[in-house]
Amino acid sequence: MEKKDIIQSVKDSLFTGVIALALFGPIVGLRTASKGEGLFITPQWGIVFILVGLCILGRFLINLNSARKTEFTFFSKFTSKLSSVTEEKAKHLAITAILFAVVFPFLPFTDRYFMDVAIMILTYIMLGWGLNIVVGLAGLLDLGYVAFYAVGAYSYALIATTFGWSFWICLPLAGVFAAFFGILLGFPVLRLRGDYLAIVTLGFGEIIRIVLINWYEVTNGPDGITGIPRPSFFGLPFKRSPDEGEASFHTFFNLEYSTMHRIIFLYYLILILALITNYFTLKIRKLPVGRAWEALREDEIACKSLGVNPTNTKLTAFAIGAMFGGFAGSFFATRQAFISPESFTFIESAIIVAIVVLGGMGSQTGVVLASIFLIGITEMFRDLEQYRMIAFGGAMVLIMVFKPKGILANRKPTILMHGDKK
Amino acid sequence: MEYFIQQLVNGITLGSIYGLIAIGYTMVYGIIGMINFAHGDIFMIGAFVALISFIIFGLTGVALPVILLLVLLIAMLFTACYGWTVEKLAYKPLRGSFRLAPLISALGMSIVLQNYVQVAQGARVKPMQPLISGGLEFFKNSEFVVTVSYLQIFIVVLTVILMGIFTYLITKTDLGRAQRACEQDRTMTALLGINVDRTISITFIIGSSLASVAGMMFVLYYGVIDFYIGFLAGIKAFTAAVLGGIGSLPGAMLGGLLIGLIETFWAGYVSLEYKDVAAFSVLIVVLIFFPTGFLGKPDIEKV
Amino acid sequence: MSNLLSVENLTMQFGGLTAIDNLSFDAKNNEITSIIGPNGAGKTTVFNCLTGFYKPTNGQMFLHKNEGKISLRKYTDFKIAHVAKVARTFQNIRLFPAMSVLENLLVAQHNELMVASGYSLFGLLNLKSYRDKEQLAVDKARYWLDIIGLTNRADDNAGDLPYGDQRKLEIVRAMCIEPKLLCLDEPAAGLNPKESAELNKLLKFIKTEKKTGILLIEHDMSVVMGISDHVVVLNYGKKIFEGTADQTKTSKEVIEAYLGVDE
Repeated sequence: MEKKDIIQSVKDSLFTGVIALALFGPIVGLRTASKGEGLFITPQWGIVFILVGLCILGRFLINLNSARKTEFTFFSKFTSKLSSVTEEKAKHLAITAILFAVVFPFLPFTDRYFMDVAIMILTYIMLGWGLNIVVGLAGLLDLGYVAFYAVGAYSYALIATTFGWSFWICLPLAGVFAAFFGILLGFPVLRLRGDYLAIVTLGFGEIIRIVLINWYEVTNGPDGITGIPRPSFFGLPFKRSPDEGEASFHTFFNLEYSTMHRIIFLYYLILILALITNYFTLKIRKLPVGRAWEALREDEIACKSLGVNPTNTKLTAFAIGAMFGGFAGSFFATRQAFISPESFTFIESAIIVAIVVLGGMGSQTGVVLASIFLIGITEMFRDLEQYRMIAFGGAMVLIMVFKPKGILANRKPTILMHGDKK
Repeated sequence: MEYFIQQLVNGITLGSIYGLIAIGYTMVYGIIGMINFAHGDIFMIGAFVALISFIIFGLTGVALPVILLLVLLIAMLFTACYGWTVEKLAYKPLRGSFRLAPLISALGMSIVLQNYVQVAQGARVKPMQPLISGGLEFFKNSEFVVTVSYLQIFIVVLTVILMGIFTYLITKTDLGRAQRACEQDRTMTALLGINVDRTISITFIIGSSLASVAGMMFVLYYGVIDFYIGFLAGIKAFTAAVLGGIGSLPGAMLGGLLIGLIETFWAGYVSLEYKDVAAFSVLIVVLIFFPTGFLGKPDIEKV
Repeated sequence: MSNLLSVENLTMQFGGLTAIDNLSFDAKNNEITSIIGPNGAGKTTVFNCLTGFYKPTNGQMFLHKNEGKISLRKYTDFKIAHVAKVARTFQNIRLFPAMSVLENLLVAQHNELMVASGYSLFGLLNLKSYRDKEQLAVDKARYWLDIIGLTNRADDNAGDLPYGDQRKLEIVRAMCIEPKLLCLDEPAAGLNPKESAELNKLLKFIKTEKKTGILLIEHDMSVVMGISDHVVVLNYGKKIFEGTADQTKTSKEVIEAYLGVDE
């Protein structure tokens, strides 16, 4: 590297520093805090200088060995390696993962906390798989997916508390309701261009939330719905002391009462629900409607010229995605026994979209990895909640910049003419 | 009647704020064809910079007009840096990527900015003492007295002045011409020796500065902000941009006014709880039935 | 030969601009009809009207079928291909690049396969009736791939094919919907002489073996003159000449439109 270049890159780094100072100076450096009447400012110049220093250093290092290129090749090599490994051993990996998931509750180190985290991850995996049909296969960016999650949760809660029907009746009903909402919303909006569609679905999600907050008579407003019945094991409740003349899970099987029973049952419930979602998606992808989804994602005009009805095709994707969202919602309701509009904010939609996008749109394995990574690992650092969201957003930007098709994005044809020769 | 006039005044004030934000959406959409989802958060940052500056200058005891001017300039300057950086980091590398990539990137940026401000400034709402108080009162003899506060006059007058400067900039200067050329055909503009990257950067800088002015007005008008204000305000301003015809500058202002009026009248006459639903419904209805807006150009599908 | 397509007084205006001005012509069964003309003459606009992407300002377009004639104006969007059986290709190829060659051809048989899969229900149950139908669809795809010599690339992504093969694939994909009328928008653009010759062969095959009428927009005169039975010449949205290929070559109006008037 010549001297001229070094001077140039030092100048460039210092310029970066000036910008960084302008960015962090007021917002980070001058923290506002209420004290008595009005606001006061607490300066935090130390952090600002560290941040600015890091920016200058980082920029300089990037310039120095034009690291951007090498890092990028390393990154893409790594991800394509990862893609090919997961593809080659897809069957083995899937079976191992499912086996692990099945024995997980009985592993020696598994405690209540692990189980809770695992249930949460599985819920997000299921939501991610559901949304993957809409975003990954059909290429429709839905920023209001949480609305269907909410519709599922609320319809489950309302049906279960009003009529007292069992989980196994309420669950499909909740799914049907959510799918119905999907069609209701989808019908007018699916003609829209991709980016407009994203904004409209976002608007719809917010409308549902505002209605949930304000429609006291039905939803009980911001206080939410309490006392949602817990699921039972084929009629056997998980209660410490069952009603007179009634068996409960532990008495029936002659077990010591433990709250873990219910947790383990919930765990298997969501595992099965998620696996059904996955199985269904893998199946339908190979059917004409699944191929038409992907074709629409690739080129809508070409689809029309081949006689594919775009609105109906998109509508099925939307409705099916919504249905799985609704299933996940009813699971959420029965697990929590309490729901309120607060659980269904836009940020929830954004997290699900992030899972699908980061995993690689259309990749089922990608959704699993992204959920474990985004929900699981960050769950361990709960206190750093806000940093977690910064990392989420940052990761979305980075992925779009460096690997817009997602980390795992090897698509396999849905049908082969020559068999699997590779 | 008096109540109606009061709502009209409030609506116009609110509409000015939305209009200023909407310009940022419409300009960016015009030049690179993307919805800058993070623009609402740029507005929120502008509001924070303004709030911080107000607190600092409030301690010095300088005269009010001087404070207003200084805060205006500072907010514009610092917020413009954010707009510029966001474009360079998150949008510029994506030109030519697949259709939804910029939108997803913008969504990520919006999440980053919101949580960054939450970490840096805390999650609590930030109240501020009113700086400009008092106003003119009309219809004193009737049972409902219409008040037009000095603050409302200030907001509307400032908006009109900025719009004037801005319209001049776009229609009469080289910069504006370069910008309009980029909107038409970016490759050709580059071939004619115009620095397209710089033109796009300047677009973001202008959009962000105007959003920061809206942020300052928001602080003054509502007297309380938090890290989340950008989300709703951003969506409403986007609705305004679409309603006026996305890509059209007078359209953005017109749309802003309409959204401001719809929101205040809805809140005043229909239902306060559902006032945000009004904005979202307008958004959905407009996008479905009226996607070119009032002053937009029809978008003929190229085959 | 009987008429396949009749275009009557077709007019298309965009705002104040008249892209097609009172155009009438016929295309006959089992014939290749070419529409030629200088750039901006309105050729692609004619296609977009015929295939339902634009709604013409005025005029009628009829497709003559065994059952009688049907008006194309009544069909918009995807129904042109689905109901009226008019297929088309595009000036800049529109394949599904990330999907395999075979999948591209199966999407073209979407509507039959949807019915066969019981709108996905039978497919999910993996019924034999569906699997048989799917096999038939694959066989049809193989038939066309054999003709254009791409059978061994059936499982590769369409986007990875060389340009010339993509053109041919787009044409046979359109043929998979079994159209009455096939509209080709500059199929020879960007092809080398050898590929052009292959294209000629393919189009002649479609005309004679498949009894499908072809409407062709083309700039490459070797293609136009080599295979057209009938030529319609447009300039500024108006028909300035109509006749056989040989008549066109010697027509004074056509030469003037292309080369300008000598004064």
